[in-house]
Amino acid sequence: MCGIAGFLASAHDPSRFVPQIGGMLARISHRGPDGAGAAVYDQGAIGAVRLSIVDVEHGDQPMCDPSGRMWIAYNGEVYNHVELRRALEARGCVFRTRCDTEVVLQAWLTWGPECLARLNGGFAFAILDTVSGQMVLARDRFGKRPLFYTRHQDSFLFASEMKAFLAVPDFQFRQDPVQLGSILAQWTPLPTQTGFEGVASLPPGSWMETGPAGTQIRLYTQLRFDVPPETDEAHAVARIRDSVHQSVALRLRSDVEVGVYLSGGLDSAIVAKAAANVTGTPPTTFSIAFDDRRLDESDAQTVMARALGGRHHTVRIAPGDIAADFATAVYHAEMPTFRSAFVPMYRLAALTRAHGIKVILSGEGADEAFLGYDLFKETLLRKAWASLDDTTRRSRLASLYPHLEHYGADDMVAITGLYQQFATERMPGLFSHELRFQNGRFAARLLRKGADPFAPLLANVADDPDFAALEPVQKAQWLEYQTLLPGYLLSTQGERMSLAHGVENRCPFLDPGVVEAAFASNLRFDDGFTEKRLLRKAFADDLPPEIVQRRKFPYRAPDAAAFRAGRPDWLETVLSEGELRKLPFLDHRFASALANKAMTRPLDQISTKEDQAFVFLLSIALLHRNFVMRETDTPAMPRMMLHDLRQSASHSQGNFASLT
Amino acid sequence: MNDASYKLKLRNFIEERFLLTFDEEFPENSDLFREGAMDSFGYVQLHRFIENEFGITFTEIDLSQGVLVSLTQIQDYVGRRLGQSTATDI
Repeated sequence: MCGIAGFLASAHDPSRFVPQIGGMLARISHRGPDGAGAAVYDQGAIGAVRLSIVDVEHGDQPMCDPSGRMWIAYNGEVYNHVELRRALEARGCVFRTRCDTEVVLQAWLTWGPECLARLNGGFAFAILDTVSGQMVLARDRFGKRPLFYTRHQDSFLFASEMKAFLAVPDFQFRQDPVQLGSILAQWTPLPTQTGFEGVASLPPGSWMETGPAGTQIRLYTQLRFDVPPETDEAHAVARIRDSVHQSVALRLRSDVEVGVYLSGGLDSAIVAKAAANVTGTPPTTFSIAFDDRRLDESDAQTVMARALGGRHHTVRIAPGDIAADFATAVYHAEMPTFRSAFVPMYRLAALTRAHGIKVILSGEGADEAFLGYDLFKETLLRKAWASLDDTTRRSRLASLYPHLEHYGADDMVAITGLYQQFATERMPGLFSHELRFQNGRFAARLLRKGADPFAPLLANVADDPDFAALEPVQKAQWLEYQTLLPGYLLSTQGERMSLAHGVENRCPFLDPGVVEAAFASNLRFDDGFTEKRLLRKAFADDLPPEIVQRRKFPYRAPDAAAFRAGRPDWLETVLSEGELRKLPFLDHRFASALANKAMTRPLDQISTKEDQAFVFLLSIALLHRNFVMRETDTPAMPRMMLHDLRQSASHSQGNFASLT
Repeated sequence: MNDASYKLKLRNFIEERFLLTFDEEFPENSDLFREGAMDSFGYVQLHRFIENEFGITFTEIDLSQGVLVSLTQIQDYVGRRLGQSTATDI
């Protein structure tokens, strides 16, 4: 795991390149505390900060091919690098290291863009051709690792985190109200969105080439639901079990110890148990506990940790802890965020690193693949609404969203009436998410009225030629894989919090084999109303009965309540009228009314949508301070291994590497 | 209860709970779902308020007809259920 950065800048003075790449790497040095390196040539530079996990002694970056022409800066892990290496060696490739970085470089040189679909892992990389001046960027299929790019004056810039651009002279961040509206409405950014004008995220599953020969962006893989269906339940269950074990085994490839995040739910328990099955040793596990018993899953975590028998560590979170770390965590997240639950993950990563663990496995991706969210059941119910009798409607409604009090028996008439109104599609293609997006519409009121905040998402849906033919629940999955999973769970709540402390997270349920096994089995042997039935069945004999039978417990944290419990010193300033007026795109009347309600009214009168909009407001205001106003500390330049390929260097001393 | 009284109570409840002000930009016939004022929890809150405040019990048929969508529709519905024309005091 690493962070990468670089630029192409044909008209600039190359003497400025070393401090610029050094400054960019300094901004993301938390991602790679084990070393930094850069290759600088006459038209640009690429660099990396490194977290050493595979071939700790020989994996320094950036790395070049034997000719010295092609240079790679690489972030992430390709778990099937052993198999790819064998295939490449069979074609005559000779390797100097055991590192997967070299495998990816050779794979690109051997197979070109076709290599990308062969890579099983979470990765983002840049390959620079120092002769042609072309740069290639690529990103993994599910958006596990980040990669952002922008253009500034005559330069093309890229980095694992946008904060690296703060080190580029004269670069100015500007928040984009159109993107912000879209993010507020659908809760998370779309694959290209960042919330900042002119700064883009390379979409998951795509690659980009830019340079003197022009720029192109292409998808190399897409989510495919048309997999051959399973026809026998026992076979489907066995396939799920095998694919998860294979995925976990691949993700245990590491030269350092691998731990597991244990949430208390089914998915992380399966990952932990599969890791124990593969290695014969229980993994070290890490969990979050909350002072607020309504949010706490300690009991289930303890049951699973005892069943595993390994070392188990817990970080306990009080509401004030979230307020205390919120600003720092938002700086690392870089995105407007709709809930505070990513902040405890920041503390969990700190605890993990303090125990000497640099790699962890976690359960993200299972709910999307195996239809674990109530959203999927809701979609099935609303779609079938007209054909169901009252008794069936009520019994299915009663099974939805047990953590939401207003879905209880006392309000069944009201909820039935609501579903009646949402039983037909209002927004083309977005049927599954229309009720959820009501919260988003409320948050979008933070902005002055402008374009339809759902227009970008509707355009994305319309652009996918295969989308219209999907079943409603598959459309729901497609939307989850496009929005909440990469835009929040894997990024803000996942990768960005872990890497803030130099911890790499790996997600076995994002293995293509696991996803395909799920898609081949979903709704083939049940009606989808028994949560992840086949996955449970596949691991029923491995886990304590309490875990197998446990209903999904959505991971949440205190939102407005956190800021009532502990008022950080920045809070009054950020919410002051003068500060809010620095954000001209806000609807100031609504923003002030929302902030006032969130901070003064009894907590039981603050609804989920108000909590959500309030956290959005805080994060947008903090991002304005950190990125637009540049109110952040400038980190020290890292000690950097420099490969100087500039003509001036070759004229005087030849190409050389030095420490700077 | 007179016409102005129940209408005002409904208007005040919606303005306070959903953080909005009815005016030229946000007229009383605005679709509260479409404008981002009301979500599922807000819908249930509004339902509870009308039942408790005015003693009205909803039927599923009422709700299936979309009577809780805009302030205008809500006022019309409550007025009918209170057994009066919306234009006449009782």
